[in-house]
Amino acid sequence: MTVEAIDSKAAPLKLEDIVRNRTRKHRWHLAFYILALVLIGWSIKATIIDDTDWERIGTFSEILKSVSQFIGIDFGLIPDLLGPTIETFMIACIGTLLGLVICIPAIWFGALNVTPFKPVTYPLARIAMTLSRSIHEIVWALIFVSAVGLGAFAGILAIAARSLGFIAKMSAEAVENIDRKPVEAIRAMGGNNFQVMLYAILPQVMPVILGIVIFEWEINIRRSAVLGLVGAGGLGLVFFRQMHTFNYPGVTTVILAIFCLVLVGEITSHYSRKALI
Amino acid sequence: MSQLHQMSGKSDATKREWSRFKYPQSLYKYGITLGVVLFIIYSLHYLNVDLSRLFGIFGRLGDLLANRYYPPDIEYIKDADYIGSIIETIQMAYLGALFGILISIFLGWFAAYNVSPSRRYLYPVARVVTMLFRSVHEMIWAILFVTILGFGMLPGVLALTMFSVGFAGKLFAEEIEAIHMGEVEAIRAMGGNHLQVFVYGVVPQVRVALTGIAIYTWDVAFRAATVVGFVGAGGMGWYLKRNVMQIETHRTAAILLSILILVIISEFISAWARNYVSKAK
Amino acid sequence: MAILEVRDLKASYSSSGPEILKGISFEVENDDFFAIIGPSGAGKSTLIRCINRLLEPSSGSIKLNGVDVLKLNNKELRHLRRHIGMIFQEFNLINRMSVMDNVLSGRLGYVGTLRSVLRIFSDKDIQNALMLLERVGLQDHVDKRADELSGGQRQRVGIARALMQEPTLLLLDEPTSALDPKISREVMELIKDIATELKVPVLCNIHDVQLAKETCNKIIGLQDGYKMFDGPTETLAQANLEEIYSMEVL
Repeated sequence: MTVEAIDSKAAPLKLEDIVRNRTRKHRWHLAFYILALVLIGWSIKATIIDDTDWERIGTFSEILKSVSQFIGIDFGLIPDLLGPTIETFMIACIGTLLGLVICIPAIWFGALNVTPFKPVTYPLARIAMTLSRSIHEIVWALIFVSAVGLGAFAGILAIAARSLGFIAKMSAEAVENIDRKPVEAIRAMGGNNFQVMLYAILPQVMPVILGIVIFEWEINIRRSAVLGLVGAGGLGLVFFRQMHTFNYPGVTTVILAIFCLVLVGEITSHYSRKALI
Repeated sequence: MSQLHQMSGKSDATKREWSRFKYPQSLYKYGITLGVVLFIIYSLHYLNVDLSRLFGIFGRLGDLLANRYYPPDIEYIKDADYIGSIIETIQMAYLGALFGILISIFLGWFAAYNVSPSRRYLYPVARVVTMLFRSVHEMIWAILFVTILGFGMLPGVLALTMFSVGFAGKLFAEEIEAIHMGEVEAIRAMGGNHLQVFVYGVVPQVRVALTGIAIYTWDVAFRAATVVGFVGAGGMGWYLKRNVMQIETHRTAAILLSILILVIISEFISAWARNYVSKAK
Repeated sequence: MAILEVRDLKASYSSSGPEILKGISFEVENDDFFAIIGPSGAGKSTLIRCINRLLEPSSGSIKLNGVDVLKLNNKELRHLRRHIGMIFQEFNLINRMSVMDNVLSGRLGYVGTLRSVLRIFSDKDIQNALMLLERVGLQDHVDKRADELSGGQRQRVGIARALMQEPTLLLLDEPTSALDPKISREVMELIKDIATELKVPVLCNIHDVQLAKETCNKIIGLQDGYKMFDGPTETLAQANLEEIYSMEVL
């Protein structure tokens, strides 16, 4: 093959074509960036410039002053924090566990390959998952406080309701991605549907689900620390009380307690998820 | 008689020993299980949870929804003020996520052990900062900023920024830690400084993943934005709080419904955008 | 007397899709070690799976001990399946369970749902499982997890599991194609020995003709959904093989 032959084959596109394509693509991107910038400008104007009461905020030094109120630790508060910290931790644990329990039917219904009656059960589970994830834990807590009254129980239910969506969605995906071969084996030896789930599906997805649950548990510690704001017990309640009594070092102390608790959760989660594999 | 008895060879009458319980592995297993069960029982006791109420809860909740929350007051959410608050919420989420992502890119860079400009100082600092931002819930950020800056959307935007930093920072750092070090070494070998290493060796590898995370961050920030108004930080949360406090259940139901619809829409958009980005590469 | 009678069996993967089996008939006698050979895509696997209805045939009849398999309802089918042992190409073990639990799971068709939840198996089942594991040479691996074993060992677990069912018929779906030639022979010989001891007829699909000739007493050859040969192993001539595998050469 001669050089000319290669040339005529390899360059069907003229230079101006390439340039034109590039500019077209460029224009598209440019329009997108301009749109984004306009959106940012508009948002900044609406939210920050127009909406803010600059006189209330005052000068920079005044801001610094109000920030500096938070510096310091209220050591007198620490003994009173132990109980609520344990409570928060327990709400997170029990809430996650309860979430896992109510997840089981959602996973079963929401995984395409095992759902018992596809036209009804599958959408039902998917709706429950979306509902659970789109409503913020604070709102869930409000709903449950109005249903069961103030206290840790409402917090547990809120955590469970909020966890359902994530755990169920990820787990259902895991169930959909299982290896079909053990399923076939259990069917071939005369196992019923329940035994297929128990022996062929569950052993495969159990480690995955546990990993997801631990991950969610870690997030739930953070969540349960604020549920007290709406009366669902734990550290949030103490935080709120400090806020109301203008005990700003106390606020910092509570935040540090939350930080420690979350740190414990993160470390536990890291090692236990490693141990699962 | 069992068919298996026809088996020849070693299949004699000797009894074989096997038990599901193995010492000590099974002991550990059962011990842990027992510990978990005891912890649950103790927790329920400590938190004063009456388990018998749990079984009635679904019926009661259904009752509550059917009688008090249904039907939602649709007229209320068609109101111009309320629609305005929705737009505010979207703006807050947009800005908060944007600022958060911009900060996270640097924080993620500093907190990624493999390419951090200074393993001695910046790395641990960035790690702790990300941890701190993560561990403090967006509601607490909102309360703090409202205390310092007063009511309005600015504290909301700042709270969402903090939240987005915590959310995206860790994911960014993890993503950066998983890159191929070959490119980084190449740039280093050419005598590139830290910034050049980051821009030429790291960014091209993680661009797509980071964009995906950024879109996801927006999605999550939007959910958080719907409630920060609860403590006076702007957006629709304020309406939610007012109606909850006044026990306007039909209006509350309508607001929840609108939140649900918005979240579903934002989820669709973010799923589409992530898909688009991962295809575009 | 024929223990398994298959008449004019037709099957396809979907109602509109192409037919995989185009009218297959054969009989398995009481002490047969029956091989199905043929090029890949001929329908060997489909045929095996139709026998215990892991795949639903579109027409024809299958009679096992005089019972028409295709007329059974779900519950009756499960009862029938527990009498048909099956050994799979890729072992299909439950990887995260121990060898012992895998073998015991062969009794699932017999134990109730509640007992299978708690994994309580009768003493007799446990004794049988241990005996079978000893027979297949895995007595030292009883409590290992199934995914810790080598391929050959896993297939031995598969064999023990199938025998736990106390089957009246063994189905083998390419039991050796995931194994190397030496281990393949060992496994086939093991299955043959055990089948002879227990007087269980075997229906086996296998792509290795040489191995089929060594172990099986009867062979049917499939090609593109049709039966091209049916008879004792000795009568299988080179000409038959060429006919069966003609598509493959092309």
